[in-house]
Amino acid sequence: MKGMLGRIVGMASVLALSANMAAAEGKLSLYNWGEYINPEIVDEFSKEYGVEVTLDTYSTNEEMLARIQAGASGYDLVWPSVHMHDIMQQLGLLQPANPNQMPGWENIDKAALRSHEDPNGDYCLPYAWGAVGVLYNKTLIPELTSWKQFFEYAKANPGKVTMLDDLRETLGVGLIMTGASVNSRDPDEVAKAEAYIMEQKPNIGAFRYDVIPLVTAGDVAAGHYYVGGVLNVLQNPELLGFVIPEEGATMYQEDVCLLANAPNPDNAKLFLQFLMRPEVAARNSERLTNGVVNTAAVDLLPDALKSNPSINPTAEVRAKLQIFEDLGKDLRLYTRAWDRIKTN
Amino acid sequence: MIAGDTVRSRRRRALLLLLAPVTLLLGVFFLVPLGIMVVYSVLEPGLYGGVEWTWYPFNYGRILGWPLNDYEEFDPIYLSIFLGSLKIACLTVLFSLLICYPAAFWVSRMGERRKNFVLFLITLPFFANLLVRIYAWLLLLRPTGFINTLLQGLGLIAQPLDMLFTSFAVVLGMVYIFTPFMFLPIYANVEKLDYSLVRASQDLGATPLQTFLRVILPLTAPGIVGGSIIVFIPALGNFIVPAFLGGSKVQMTGNLIERSFLQSRDWPFGAALALLIMASVVLVLMIQLTRAARTQTKGAV
Repeated sequence: MKGMLGRIVGMASVLALSANMAAAEGKLSLYNWGEYINPEIVDEFSKEYGVEVTLDTYSTNEEMLARIQAGASGYDLVWPSVHMHDIMQQLGLLQPANPNQMPGWENIDKAALRSHEDPNGDYCLPYAWGAVGVLYNKTLIPELTSWKQFFEYAKANPGKVTMLDDLRETLGVGLIMTGASVNSRDPDEVAKAEAYIMEQKPNIGAFRYDVIPLVTAGDVAAGHYYVGGVLNVLQNPELLGFVIPEEGATMYQEDVCLLANAPNPDNAKLFLQFLMRPEVAARNSERLTNGVVNTAAVDLLPDALKSNPSINPTAEVRAKLQIFEDLGKDLRLYTRAWDRIKTN
Repeated sequence: MIAGDTVRSRRRRALLLLLAPVTLLLGVFFLVPLGIMVVYSVLEPGLYGGVEWTWYPFNYGRILGWPLNDYEEFDPIYLSIFLGSLKIACLTVLFSLLICYPAAFWVSRMGERRKNFVLFLITLPFFANLLVRIYAWLLLLRPTGFINTLLQGLGLIAQPLDMLFTSFAVVLGMVYIFTPFMFLPIYANVEKLDYSLVRASQDLGATPLQTFLRVILPLTAPGIVGGSIIVFIPALGNFIVPAFLGGSKVQMTGNLIERSFLQSRDWPFGAALALLIMASVVLVLMIQLTRAARTQTKGAV
């Protein structure tokens, strides 16, 4: 962000930063998604190294970027999705943390180095990944396997399914069903995906993120949702199910990155090293029920997670998962399509 | 002469001093952000949020439906979203008025103690967070929620009613939120109503309808207009209720603005939309002001 607002916020944070630096002894400041790290491992790190850790949260990549661009200093580590990692690195907001030279790097799955800008892991540490599939209520749908079935159920029971209120995710399902890439920049392909979702819209109950209570109570039978919903499935396996539909799905991955103006880079690097310990990574994944990027940690996972086809999918299923890339100006194509879907 | 001047200048200084905090507050917290918005609305959107400092008046054209590039076609969706928001805001005003106007008469005739208690009840919702209250409606309206369970238990309906995620739920939620804002101005007006005028019109042979239309309604009109404006303005820009109770399928301009700033990374377009809402609010206020001024001059004659 440029301009007056940026300057004012910038000045405020410079003041905050200088106050921070005076007391930068033994501190670490994390800026992460909500509910995206096991608080126990943060405490453990804090005790082991005598570092005082603070954690702030955000709910979208854009929100985080806007605050960092506005000059919100004082944070050391952030958790951008891969496409946002690329953007931030290009904008010069990151500095190399060199996780690839730390002990423990040998455990990191090299397939998780998904960033275009950082193919060798000089900057950021791959953190966790997950598929975006469907959470469903087994009393209403005994077994769900595909998007086709999802939309057929919706047609027979209008209003009983939800999709995410996210233009990339939901248009992404349209793109998958019309046989295009979820990163398509072709106006015709996006138009086809738009038409596909538009056709389903009368049967879709809501575009919504917060669907776990509704699916659990049976208000809706199935909801487009993140793999984190598996945590609820494991607590209630008779009632709930989660599936990566067989036509394919989108996936996300976050990397842990060191900010260019981090006040405590040394502690941040210690923390990255700590996160690479297999038992720490395993305990973190247990809480997040996300895909694991640490191969040594997979063996330490409880069987329920290790054998879960959504968390630890087969190579065949993995091949059908697509990750979002940044579209730059072409995001406009999707914005218009989404605005039309929401309006008509 | 000299003494008069000092008194006057002293008064002026006192006035300046007294007005200074308000002026400063409005200047810093209203005019400066407004200025930023006006400037941003004619700049080019930055690729990743923010703005590029280039003159770019097309944000307004886009609201009217003009295409931005080759593959887009003329399509006034943003205007139709705006018209939809106007409709929902007007319905909200209408229904809250229908509830509050009779209720104001009813409350104004209560005994002092009961009246205070009822007024307390009306302001009570302000003590709880808005999101919590809206979430409570979600729990009431959903298929397995309280209302459906109750109706099914009583045998009135066989299948749960689909109330959640509909326009009905949106208008209901909005009326619920804004009822106190409608009630208080109307009540203030109704309570002052001089009943001797009502009796006079009855004595002079007016029918009840005539009395209502020609005496009661004109006398309470300021409260109705005031309440309507106070409800209309925030209703037009609301985005929480459509997102929660409309399941984001019912969309208002407020939702569009929120999305422009976050998901779409298009701050200038969001700023232009916000100014559109502001302009329509100012228009409503100006119409009201000119009408008020006209009635005043008429009254003077």
